Amino acid sequence: MIEKPRRVAIVGGNRIPFARSNGAYAHASNQDMLTTVLDGLTARFALDGERLGEVVGGAVLKHSRDRDLTRESVLGSRLSPETPAYDVQQACGTGLETAVLVANKIALGQIDSGIACGADTTSDAPIAINEDLRQILLDFNRQRSAAGRIRQLARIRPAQLAPAIPRNEEPRTGLSMGEHCAIMAADWGITRQEQDELAARSHRNLAAAYEKGFMDDLLSPYLGLERDQNLRPDSTVEALAKLKPVFGGRDGTMTAGNSTPLTDGASAVLMSSEEWAKERGLPVLAYLLDAETAAIDHVYRREGLLMAPVYGMPRLLERVGIGLEEFDLYEIHEAFAAQVLCTMKAWQDERFCRDRLGLDRALGILDSDRLNVHGGSLAAGHPFAATGGRILAGLAKALHERGSGRGVISICAAGGQGVLAVLESSGGAR
Amino acid sequence: MSTPTSTPTSTPTSTRTLETPPRVLPLYIRAAAPLIPGASLLPFLPGGGGQTPSMRLQLREARAEPDRLAAYSRVCGFTLGAHLPPTYPHVLAFPLHMALMADHAFPFGAVGVLHVANRIVQHRAIDALEPLAISAELTSLQPHPRGATFSFVSEASVDGELVWRETSTMLRLGARAPDGGRGRESEPGASSLGPGEGDGVGRGHPPSPVARWRIRADLGRRYAAVSGDCNPIHLHPLASRALGFASPIAHGMWTKARCLAHLQPRLPDAFAVEVRFKKPVVLPSSVELSVAFDGDAVRFLLSEPKREIVHLRGFVDEPARMAQADGGLG
Repeated sequence: MIEKPRRVAIVGGNRIPFARSNGAYAHASNQDMLTTVLDGLTARFALDGERLGEVVGGAVLKHSRDRDLTRESVLGSRLSPETPAYDVQQACGTGLETAVLVANKIALGQIDSGIACGADTTSDAPIAINEDLRQILLDFNRQRSAAGRIRQLARIRPAQLAPAIPRNEEPRTGLSMGEHCAIMAADWGITRQEQDELAARSHRNLAAAYEKGFMDDLLSPYLGLERDQNLRPDSTVEALAKLKPVFGGRDGTMTAGNSTPLTDGASAVLMSSEEWAKERGLPVLAYLLDAETAAIDHVYRREGLLMAPVYGMPRLLERVGIGLEEFDLYEIHEAFAAQVLCTMKAWQDERFCRDRLGLDRALGILDSDRLNVHGGSLAAGHPFAATGGRILAGLAKALHERGSGRGVISICAAGGQGVLAVLESSGGAR
Repeated sequence: MSTPTSTPTSTPTSTRTLETPPRVLPLYIRAAAPLIPGASLLPFLPGGGGQTPSMRLQLREARAEPDRLAAYSRVCGFTLGAHLPPTYPHVLAFPLHMALMADHAFPFGAVGVLHVANRIVQHRAIDALEPLAISAELTSLQPHPRGATFSFVSEASVDGELVWRETSTMLRLGARAPDGGRGRESEPGASSLGPGEGDGVGRGHPPSPVARWRIRADLGRRYAAVSGDCNPIHLHPLASRALGFASPIAHGMWTKARCLAHLQPRLPDAFAVEVRFKKPVVLPSSVELSVAFDGDAVRFLLSEPKREIVHLRGFVDEPARMAQADGGLG
């Protein structure tokens, strides 16, 4: 038992380059990718055969056979098989939530080290049998008599032989993520121009990060990819302006260029207590100071589906005692350019902050020059559960390079949820 | 590995370099042709010679193709990771093995040639899509109580650096080595299994199994599709019956690959692994793996569940120690 919580160090990360759906990783499973990033992390920090406190991971699109995906990946990796593991699923918040869970146990002294990780494949998707057919087969199995069984089999119709393919839609609204975001974009009056500018900047920043070697110790090549397959270094606002809208009807502002594509990939982040890192001569890039997971009511109160981080941020800032404008770096997950822009607009809107967030004034204006400075999901792609690890390791490294400062992460997720975290450079706040 | 570049044959070897892997199917037909009485008298078909040809085939550049590698990994149980499964260069070298056996100077047809032992030495982890120069050559015939043995010695190198070497020992039933004699029971290249015999996973009572695999009837066809090894004995009962098995048998290299897939997370980047294929796995089947770790060395055994039939006996060690154990062979 410890008297007071310990500081949680972020030691480093490893991910594979993200691939476009049915691209370079078309035949790689979640377990293949998760095992590969764990092995890469193990190699990077000399953890071969090491027993860690725990590994927490997850995938959003998951086969029913992938029970305990993370544990199986640990067993297939070079880590000690005596490292426990468990799975988490919280849509696009999965990756960052795993880090919060590992961090909490480290802070409480229950473990000294752990890995937060996630993988997702949209190519090797979990196709299931038709739901009607599944019910018939289960009824068939419950019958005791031959006649009863034949009666069940007679219910089968040819159309039921078509498999059930996972759909990117909200179960309770029937709308896709993009359609939900298009409603938000219209509500907040987000223009096409703003969205395309944010997308072009994301590509430019990520390309620059690769050029200056920033990604070198964050990423290991996999199956022929050395950079994210979605990255277009020469992307321009003019080129993006030519794309047709895909969400929000004919007058919509959201295109394939300012929305994240379906992506395959995996990431992992090593976290520990300060003593654990010191004993092994490992670096501390940053500390995870605090985190907040938020949810909004998008079903009955018609709240914007991806607006949960907007609500979570003031609660988190209140706890850590930092103003929104005081951060040196911001990482807002670019599920859609419009989502980032809606989030920023909401925080600077006095009426919204007063009426909906219960504040006495606007939360603040976010300096976009400090936002996603090494690129975001629009450029890198977004393999759902792997995005949190990509952002966490990248921000920790960026804060370490600055020598001091603080950063905040905001990730929106399906189901009206969001995960936020505050990091401080190992060199201190200032 | 005392002499990694040594030539296994005593006679001077001619090297033939190929730009692309030879197509395997025509080679099968040629290699099987000596089944037809008198066919070996034709100058372009194998058979009739008394000794294996001293010829080295070389593939300038071969590399795993992602889709094929994924399918292979799936069938054998490997993680599709950043590195190549240690058995995958065998798949890249296999067309060369077939070309050597289909050569007119090869002393007999390929039918009735059994894979009895296989040693792989991996000097470092190989990147999954790393371009490799692959070579294969034959050792001379050695006497054996049930016929004669020879080996394919295959190598994979990167820019002249040897990264992987395999000795596949084959037994041709009923053949006679030119220098006569009946030979010893122990196959060449298998003597380092010695330390394991008699205890642990040796001949005595193996430790309780660590894994059971249920192998489907179509495994032979599935492995053939991902490895290119389409020997009919693995594919169809008609072919397996001719050799005395009621149904097709699993490829020896699949059994080795499956065992290594299980062990891989616990193996270092550089290691040597040798197996002896004892009794074939008749499909479909349930098999059990027993493993004994002994420092850096690992002994393993694949058997049927009652453990009356041993399918495979294997041994992993450091490359240098394994070479030492059998006097530099392989």
